[in-house]
Amino acid sequence: MEIRRYFWGLCLPVLICAVWSGCKKDSTASASLPVVEAYLYAGHPIKVKLYQQKSLTDTAKYGAAITGQQLLISDGSQQIQLTESVKGTYIYTDSSFLVAGRTYTLKFNYQSRQVSAQTVMPFKPTNFATQRDSAYYAHTSTPSVQADTLNKFTWDNPDSLNHVLVFDNIDNSFFPVNGGFVRNGASNIFSINTERKPVYYVVNNSFPYYGHYQVVLLRVNQEYIDLMKSNALGSNSQNLLNIPTNVTNGLGIFTAMQSDTLKFYLYQ
Amino acid sequence: MLLFLLISSFAYIAHAQNKRDALKKDTLNKFVARPLDDLLDTLSINYGLKIVFERDSLHRFDVVERFFNESLDNVLAKVCRQFTLNYWVDAAGTIYVLQNVDDMARLRQLAKTVKQPKRVSKIVAKADTSNEQDIEALYENRDKRTKAPLSVQSKDQRQLVASPPTEQPVQSPGPVPSVVQAAPRQEVHLSVTVNGKVTDQNSGLALPSATIHVRNTKLFVLASSDGNFTLFNVPSDTCTLEVSYSGYQQDNFRLSADLLKQPLALSLLPALTTLNEVSIIGQKSGVMNTDVKKVGVLQLSPANLDKLPSLGDKDVMRAFQLMPGVGATNESSSGAYVRGGTPDQNLVVFDGFTIYQVDHLYGFFSAFNSNAIKDIQLYKGGFSSQYGGRLSSVTEINGKDGNTKSTTYGVDLSLLSLNAFLETPINDKSSLLVSVRRSYQGPFYDKIFKQFNASTGGGFRGGGGPGGPGGFGEQTTPASHFYDANVRYTYHADQNNILTWSFYSGEDKTDNSRQLQLPSFIGGGSSPDITDYTKYGNLASSLKWFHQWNKTIHSNTYITYSSYFNDRVRSNSGTTTDSLGNAVNFNNGTIENNNLKDIGLKSDWVWELNNNLRFRYGGFGSFQHINYDYIQDDTTHLISQHNSALSGGGYFETEYEPINALHLQPGIRATYYGPTSGTYLEPRFSASYVVNDNYTLKFATGQFYQFINQVTRDDIADGNRNFWVLSNNSSVPIGRSRHLMGGVAYENDQFLIDVEGYYKWLNGLTQYTITQTGFGFAGGTPTITENFYSGQGRAKGIEVLVQKKLGQYTGWLSYTLADAENKFAVYGNNYYPADQDIRHEFKAINMYHDNRWNFSAVFIFSTGHPYTAPLSTYSITGADGNRVTYFNVSAKNAERLPEYHRLDLSATYDLLKISGDKIGSIGISLFNVYNHVNTWYREYYIRDNAAITTDVNYLGFTPNITLSLRWK
Repeated sequence: MEIRRYFWGLCLPVLICAVWSGCKKDSTASASLPVVEAYLYAGHPIKVKLYQQKSLTDTAKYGAAITGQQLLISDGSQQIQLTESVKGTYIYTDSSFLVAGRTYTLKFNYQSRQVSAQTVMPFKPTNFATQRDSAYYAHTSTPSVQADTLNKFTWDNPDSLNHVLVFDNIDNSFFPVNGGFVRNGASNIFSINTERKPVYYVVNNSFPYYGHYQVVLLRVNQEYIDLMKSNALGSNSQNLLNIPTNVTNGLGIFTAMQSDTLKFYLYQ
Repeated sequence: MLLFLLISSFAYIAHAQNKRDALKKDTLNKFVARPLDDLLDTLSINYGLKIVFERDSLHRFDVVERFFNESLDNVLAKVCRQFTLNYWVDAAGTIYVLQNVDDMARLRQLAKTVKQPKRVSKIVAKADTSNEQDIEALYENRDKRTKAPLSVQSKDQRQLVASPPTEQPVQSPGPVPSVVQAAPRQEVHLSVTVNGKVTDQNSGLALPSATIHVRNTKLFVLASSDGNFTLFNVPSDTCTLEVSYSGYQQDNFRLSADLLKQPLALSLLPALTTLNEVSIIGQKSGVMNTDVKKVGVLQLSPANLDKLPSLGDKDVMRAFQLMPGVGATNESSSGAYVRGGTPDQNLVVFDGFTIYQVDHLYGFFSAFNSNAIKDIQLYKGGFSSQYGGRLSSVTEINGKDGNTKSTTYGVDLSLLSLNAFLETPINDKSSLLVSVRRSYQGPFYDKIFKQFNASTGGGFRGGGGPGGPGGFGEQTTPASHFYDANVRYTYHADQNNILTWSFYSGEDKTDNSRQLQLPSFIGGGSSPDITDYTKYGNLASSLKWFHQWNKTIHSNTYITYSSYFNDRVRSNSGTTTDSLGNAVNFNNGTIENNNLKDIGLKSDWVWELNNNLRFRYGGFGSFQHINYDYIQDDTTHLISQHNSALSGGGYFETEYEPINALHLQPGIRATYYGPTSGTYLEPRFSASYVVNDNYTLKFATGQFYQFINQVTRDDIADGNRNFWVLSNNSSVPIGRSRHLMGGVAYENDQFLIDVEGYYKWLNGLTQYTITQTGFGFAGGTPTITENFYSGQGRAKGIEVLVQKKLGQYTGWLSYTLADAENKFAVYGNNYYPADQDIRHEFKAINMYHDNRWNFSAVFIFSTGHPYTAPLSTYSITGADGNRVTYFNVSAKNAERLPEYHRLDLSATYDLLKISGDKIGSIGISLFNVYNHVNTWYREYYIRDNAAITTDVNYLGFTPNITLSLRWK
């Protein structure tokens, strides 16, 4: 009787234990993966930078350069080898190698692992135009009122491709639009993801500074948009997320893009 | 002689129920000048009262008093007050008069051994020594001999016995003929159906889950949450019912054919708080109970909650966290993390309506006022097909009816909040309960506010929190409070119809609005007004109609409304002067609103065919509408969601017991969900098998769907925001889970050992993130991208509960071994530990009761929560030339925070009235006594290109004082 009682008491936990199966995950993230940074422009020489990652307490701007690597880039029919110009920077000077429409693959071996990345050179954007070359905007002494459209940039985009607008204030000194205040983190160069549209409306509070802007329209690949979007708002142990990368066995980005440029002047 | 014994026993039972009523009705009209013991002897003889006291200690008190038609109740109170004594009437009608209520236990022993005053000694001796078997034997004999009726329990009859205004001793045949004559001879009916309601004799409140046991049979039933019960196949209409309920004195009721003509009204008297003699069949007397016959069911009545340590007010949801299977280490959420589930997977139903905001003050306190709650059931999984719409669990809260007999009111005061309630009968048929709770911003509130506000993660950042919204250039201490209110009106139209209106409102508000003082060099225009507030809460109401169609069918029909809101406004407005010198009004900033409206109609029916077969069935329909707007500068809609869902369905469930030991409960639930135009079937099944008196096996399985999710918008600058979204089968899928649960329970008179295991499969889980696009910061409107991630999960675990149910020392040990994993493509192709995953959790709840004192010690230990850690950093320069530093992070949730543990202590002293009734308590609680640093989560910043790690911690040592008072 006692045995039977104990049997009932014990059998269920034992059964449940029996079906308990652990599933251990291996941590693939590693602090030793190389960081790749390469932007390929058609008709330009190639420059690829290789860095090590930094320890959490390292205050250097970039990780230590990775030197002495043999970097190969293939376009499917031809493979070229880059040479190290300065420490950690690998170049290929023949500007005819990068052509629109081709797929480029980077490969090199680092710490007995093959690192690779692939990208497609997009076609140059067409009909990039601005409605106005300049715009007047008078800032009031208090925070801005209703948003007001100052200008419109347009380009062809029948296939809804990814485009990024880069606004680069090329003046030597900067005059803040916001009544003398500069919002924390405001930069004289900034990028806008145009969300696959053929148009971008500039409004009064788009700009942190008055002045002359070089406006660059970049036709980019999805991997670049992914990197841009990953400007994560939060970084704590509840929401920390690895940044997407198109580099296998590595971090960073290897991407191709084409550009067109206009000028725009914002004055008061 | 036989007749004498019969009459004595008869009198004993008759006295049992309404002695207190008799004390109020019988009066004394004479001049008294004699020792107190003498007076008590006289009362005892003249009124047929059994009075127990220590003669020596009372003899020295001389009573010299003229009583003018004073009720006996008042006489006793008056003399007791005069000599600083107490008196207490137990359910058997015995009156105890004593100097210290703490001596009660001794006096009860005394009652059995000490010889009573001569003139009542025979009565006392008979009543005292008459064990139940003797009485039964007597009745049986009488049955056989005379076929005489056995019942004297109808109210009128009792009064005949209990109020004999005679100078004769009780053993005189005075009342007896009345009794006998009052019950005409009639046939004994066999196999009868008995239904009725169990209530508190003082307040008239229903006693849910009271046990009704037919003496000398194995037949028993638990009362429903309304106190109602039905027993089939009761051997005869002369049986005795033993009725018991935690915190009340057990009582016996003899049936009669007359009584059964209408539903029985059985009422119990509260137990004396200083006693530990509760002995209840099939029911535990602990603060919380598990239902050993069902898998994963916890029951809680708030009455005993003051025996547990509390931080602030008594907290029903926190109390559940002390039981196995409910996570206890999430100080930032009062929501239930049940068996690997998240709080939004737990349906919280209050009087039929759904509550969407279940906590106050960043999750530290639950949104439910224990004074307004009758009882709560937590179904940890595998629940009945009566419930649906959530993947994990159900918390069903039943509001408390108002006192139907007299007006009572009370206050609870703590360092956090003031809590007041009023219960009152409106008229013969209706009663009202109102309870209101509001926090005040003392040091205790501020400590918790700052603890959860200083971080950027879990809570809502109040406007002026450290490092709060930049740009205003000025920080003030924000005004912050929470409140909740309950109103419940009950109308007993007749015995078969009860209407109940219930209203709930709860809100948290933090307001940091102020006027900005502009620097002097900025001219033109007035100083702008800054509106800066956060408020969130829930407003809900329901109308319930209970109808007893006949003895076997009753229904509850609800019309419900629930409205959840979560608003944050940060705007500055004012007047400025433009370049032309004109005054221009401006208003800009961010406004974030999430509100949900839920209107529903449902009807739940129960049809009890016999003791072995019962049907539950019903239908439901609801309309939900959700708005979520995130607006900047009045014009830019960063997020704009406006969704509605119409849904409806029905369920059918059978409770069947082919043999007494086996309980089978198959059911099915079907829900039509408008946005997907789909019908979702949820088969359910549960079973239990009573192996013998000690062992019960139980099992449950089922499929569950969820059509609404609460997701979190990360906001590093202003604090995370939780909001509700409806499933749409595209970006937000419909959640589905399957449960498999089993367990075995061992129970004897002293201990309960309960072991349960579970496995759950979950599909269609939703996570939400938003990201801001761009490398350089333009200073203008950011581009925000919403991402909904879909994934799946699985959870498994074993829970062990060892509970000591009776005695001065009670409590339980709880251990849970669990594993909860998720798989979202965004984090890779493997399962990873879910955020709420806890491998080991151990809880020890110890309570010691010594007369008026209650001491408790609660120790909680668990493995740390999983988290994602940065391994290193790296920097990339974008195509525009801006450099960004990123973290290279570990696998999702690959690391563990340090173990969580803490010890809470409390001591409570009961305040008693002269009659021994509890009128309140005073208590002190010490939270996290040894001030262990428990980590909530970690924050990472990049400063000077390096990563800075900061631990955000939970609350350290915090003392609290509570005071509860009740008046009648």
